[in-house]
Amino acid sequence: MNENDDYSGRLRAFGVIVVLVIAVLIGRAAYLQVYEGDYFAQLADGNRIRIIPSMAPRGTFYDRNGEVLVTNRPGFTVSLLPLSKPSPEVIQRVSDLVKVPVEEINKKIAAHSGFDPIRVKQDVTPDIVDIVEEHKDEYPGVVIEVQPIRNYILKQMGAHIFGYVSEINDAELEKKKDEGYKSGDIIGKFGLEKIYDKELRGTNGGEQVEVDVSGKPVQIIGRKDPEAGLDMQLTIDKNLQEAAEKAVDDQLAQIHANAAAAVVMNPQTGEILAMVSRPAFDPNLFAHGISSKDWNVLNNNPYHPMDNKAISGEYPPGSTFKIVTGTAALTEGVVSPSEKILDTGHHWIIPKGNSEGEALGWINFEEALAHSDNVYFYEMGNRLGIDRLEKYGRMFGLGKRTGIDLPYEADGLVANKEYKKKWFDDGEWYLSETFDAAIGQGFNLVTPLQACMVMSEIAADGKRYKPHLVSALKYPDGTLAESFEPVVLSQLDTTPDIIHLIQQGLRGVTQYGTAASAFRGFPIQIAGKTGTAENSQGRDHGWFVAYGPFDNPNVCVAVIVENGGFGAQSAVPIGRKILEAAFGLNQPQADDTQTKNKAKN
Amino acid sequence: MTKRFFRRTDFLLIAATAGILIMSLVIIGSATHINTPGQERYWYVQRQGIFALVNIAFAAFLMNFDYKMLQGYGNKLYIFNIILLLAVMIFGHSALGAQRWIMIGPISIQPSEFSKIIMIVSLATMLNDRVGKINNLHDLAPIVLYVGVPFLLVLKQPDLGTSLVFMAITLGMLFVSGINLKLLGGLFVAGAASTPLLWHFMKDYQKMRIMVFMDPNVDPLGSGYHIIQSKIAIGSGMLFGKGLFQGTQSQLNFLPENHTDFIFAVVGEELGFVGVAFLLLLYLVVLWRGVCIARDAGDTFGRLLAVGITSMLAFHVLVNVGMTMGIMPVTGIPLPLMSYGVSSLTTNILSVAILLNIQLRKQKLLF
Repeated sequence: MNENDDYSGRLRAFGVIVVLVIAVLIGRAAYLQVYEGDYFAQLADGNRIRIIPSMAPRGTFYDRNGEVLVTNRPGFTVSLLPLSKPSPEVIQRVSDLVKVPVEEINKKIAAHSGFDPIRVKQDVTPDIVDIVEEHKDEYPGVVIEVQPIRNYILKQMGAHIFGYVSEINDAELEKKKDEGYKSGDIIGKFGLEKIYDKELRGTNGGEQVEVDVSGKPVQIIGRKDPEAGLDMQLTIDKNLQEAAEKAVDDQLAQIHANAAAAVVMNPQTGEILAMVSRPAFDPNLFAHGISSKDWNVLNNNPYHPMDNKAISGEYPPGSTFKIVTGTAALTEGVVSPSEKILDTGHHWIIPKGNSEGEALGWINFEEALAHSDNVYFYEMGNRLGIDRLEKYGRMFGLGKRTGIDLPYEADGLVANKEYKKKWFDDGEWYLSETFDAAIGQGFNLVTPLQACMVMSEIAADGKRYKPHLVSALKYPDGTLAESFEPVVLSQLDTTPDIIHLIQQGLRGVTQYGTAASAFRGFPIQIAGKTGTAENSQGRDHGWFVAYGPFDNPNVCVAVIVENGGFGAQSAVPIGRKILEAAFGLNQPQADDTQTKNKAKN
Repeated sequence: MTKRFFRRTDFLLIAATAGILIMSLVIIGSATHINTPGQERYWYVQRQGIFALVNIAFAAFLMNFDYKMLQGYGNKLYIFNIILLLAVMIFGHSALGAQRWIMIGPISIQPSEFSKIIMIVSLATMLNDRVGKINNLHDLAPIVLYVGVPFLLVLKQPDLGTSLVFMAITLGMLFVSGINLKLLGGLFVAGAASTPLLWHFMKDYQKMRIMVFMDPNVDPLGSGYHIIQSKIAIGSGMLFGKGLFQGTQSQLNFLPENHTDFIFAVVGEELGFVGVAFLLLLYLVVLWRGVCIARDAGDTFGRLLAVGITSMLAFHVLVNVGMTMGIMPVTGIPLPLMSYGVSSLTTNILSVAILLNIQLRKQKLLF
């Protein structure tokens, strides 16, 4: 056939094209599978392998007697798988279900990195869990994680001590990235939760899970169990804490005041037995993501419920500072214990006097301290001068943080010339300012904890113990990881005799002095000191510091009632109730042995 | 007779075709067994296997007839083809925005698959008298018109893939028919110029496919998803593959349509480059035999048929495999003899049967 010759060339060309087609395809396959194979293999693994983290439970808080204070409970979290970005419809559906705005979810997705699920809403109710589990088709890429949720079983009781936890924010993440913190982590934000976060958090575990295209797990490839955080034994006595909270609440209600703080510690060890700040908050609100409504309520409260006033509230010490002035005067020898000074109602150099204007006549040191006589202590200030007052204030540890294991502690302030020079146009120091400083007014500022420390140092014969809230960290199986022994920070540079004189003067306060009526019939000898901090903003703050039993003190208490007026009327009743509870006197049927045991603690 | 029959039977073509069919059943089994519950686990394999056997038996029976008699039916088949395509437009039910299927009893068939082979037969009939006489537009016009009607009907479904197959078949057959190369060049230019027309006919999802082909990351979770996942599947198979039934992309459903249009990606993932190269070489054998059969054909009609069938198969392989590897747009063209689907399987087995028939009746070796 002739045609064959004409067209065999065309057919050959056709054959070449066919061979080329196959050659190109084989070449492309070789490129994808051999040259780029590793890269695509990684992508395939990324497709199918999900890391589903399981959060380590945070350590449990126990009180000194082993009572549970803070623990965890299982909670359900609605999360999104990070790699299969859900469609806008799914996000809308999730938003409707858990009542989190779409913008907020999108923000979380945008900010997310890594393989951990994106947590949309923590601690959802079981019916939301059911909806997601039963309608998996409608919620592709949405998973329910079981996470331990912090459970503050005492609600707002002890809130300022325990603190609260919530999701790590950008600033914290930036700072703590190197310590292994990741976005979405739960972190301690306040109180002991913040200070001991590293110890409490444990190590998160997780499962490597093979999933199908809808994110449904097919099989578990690998697993690392989470390691629980360390448990914490606190120095707090739960019963005493409860009594202290109740005493404060009752008194605030009775005198229509709004804010107060109380610190109870063992002066022989520095252990904090109770600590109260009012108003308070419920840390559970933060554990499952606080609503903006709840947050606004807390934020707009003029009395700052989020502040731990026991360590960050700074108040003029008022007459409680006379302990410092008195110690200084006796130690420096500017007065002898028996020297009598005439109180005519006001001082002879500057006409300042007692608050009610009364005149006590000729009085000695012990009487002056018991009755909190201003004229006597003005004269001590006059004889000492501001520099020596400052020196003794600092010797007691004032003007700087005590070092308690809580965040946001305030320094307080010891009145001194330097400060006046630095911050005032008229930098000159006046004698009247020394007078004010000598009775705890003027520039002096202390926190309730510092006031408690001053009293404790007298109670412990001059020893200043570091205040602390944690006595031991324990592994989940109960074995000891670390224990915290009492630490002596310093010793008052004075003589035992002088401390005895101060102690006796303070005992006089509850026997015949400013707090005598409140402590009439109290079965245990108490040393105390009332105070009234003048407040330019409003009503005066009332102070009371005390310790007991007098001969072998193991409880020291400081109470302040903001805008409570005279300490004897506002703070002393709280202090008395706390002491009653500390010595087991508040239980009508308390038998003697229990009382004795408690007292020996 | 029997002796000649055996001597002229193209065993290489049969072996390659059988090899592809066997691979097809194994891979369909791997791609579908996991999603199908219990006893029906191998439903797809059984169905494809049974239809393969039925078709093979039918093809063997057809060997009794001479392919040349098809020449007498060319124009009737052409009209039947048009009616069939119109029927789809009227009675067909749609999927993915395209009307492609009509139900006949329990079987839903895709007439556009059959229309490809009908197209080849009717075009071969028409070109039979014109070989060597296509030198100017006047000669070309009737051919373009002849192909144009079914082409537009398919495009209207819309079935871009099949309409492109029509073009490939026509170009292949015209080329071998000795069309003036300048004219062929002009046809190419005209085709390129009519792209906006094609674009106009396309549905949004098709336009998206073209855009995604240019850059899959335009829409990684929508239209681009298929290409990305398919490339991951093939690439991650590496040299030796993950093993049958072990492909994570396929078994965990990351790879969509893994037993139909994207079956090649399963081969790539589970059998690796070795399996891919083997399968493509089987196709090369089939195509190469097609070229040889065209060369040895006893008459012009037979040659044109063989070239048309080879063009169709080659274009299918190129576009389908190219699509799974990201060098061709997603057009919904199945992989011949591999993809699950009764219509496609029947068409392709019949095509191979026609090639065998032509080889069987070549006259050159008559002595």
